[in-house]
Amino acid sequence: MAAQAAPPGVSDAQLIARCIVGDDRHAFAELVKRHQSSVRACLRKLTAGNHALADDLSQETFVLAWRNLKSFRQEARFSTWLYRIATNCWLAQARKRHEELLGDRDAEVADADADDAALSGGTSADHAAGTTMKIDLERALARLSDAERAAIVQCYHNDLSHEEAAYVLGCPVGTVKTHVLRGKQKLKIALAAWAPSQSSQAS
Amino acid sequence: MSTDAHSPSRSETPPDWLDQLLAREAADHAGDYIADRGFTARVMQTLPAADALPAWRRPVIVALWLVAAALLAITLPGTAHDVAREAFKLFAARPFSLSTLALALAAIGIATWTGAAVALRRD
Repeated sequence: MAAQAAPPGVSDAQLIARCIVGDDRHAFAELVKRHQSSVRACLRKLTAGNHALADDLSQETFVLAWRNLKSFRQEARFSTWLYRIATNCWLAQARKRHEELLGDRDAEVADADADDAALSGGTSADHAAGTTMKIDLERALARLSDAERAAIVQCYHNDLSHEEAAYVLGCPVGTVKTHVLRGKQKLKIALAAWAPSQSSQAS
Repeated sequence: MSTDAHSPSRSETPPDWLDQLLAREAADHAGDYIADRGFTARVMQTLPAADALPAWRRPVIVALWLVAAALLAITLPGTAHDVAREAFKLFAARPFSLSTLALALAAIGIATWTGAAVALRRD
């Protein structure tokens, strides 16, 4: 293999071509370096902050990407294609660990309920803390169904359009919109403490 | 694919408090870069071993064999003709029925398809 490390100016498409035509692993390493952060961040969100699991799934994602690189038709951005593989890996893993996840989720819900009770007795200064809001949001996301969480993460965290999210999730655009809507309804209930008061909304 | 059409975080309807909260949370993390810390190296170690024969070499090798066979036939004038004539004689001396001919054609077809499948298989 006579490949050399790719300079940073080379586009994703050029690197992909080098991988396909010349079996260039240096080019693929450059692609991994470029996209590892966003893929790992997406999976951390999907796994509700389980960094070890997210990194394992990220590794699996890139190995699958390497194996299936020839099937990438440039119909979407490379990052979107990677999100699609990552989401499929996460869904497959979630299916495998379904029983275990249900147990964990019950425990998390119990914990969250206890925390909610504690928070409801707290001051408004506590609510203002950004970290608390993030923790609440993380827990609320963890309580959504897999499909709802995936749709919310793709549309908000990854800032994808409904069409792109549909491509990533492998379902029709209408289904994505439904999942987002249902997910948001559940989030609104779970995060009701963070909703602005009526008076502040009116002003 | 359009990236800005119908994005929930950029929808035409006015965003409610949850939209704003989700968008703010996403924006807070948008600039966060997860350090590689050996991740790329681990991925590269996990990749399947490289093909012993790169994809582009396979058809080249087949073509080279064809060229070699053609050269052999050309450089040995008469030999190919003699071999073909003797083979035909051997062939013609045997009484053939239609079923035998069909069987022979089927065998040749299977051999050809199997050969092609083996030659063009993807590892």
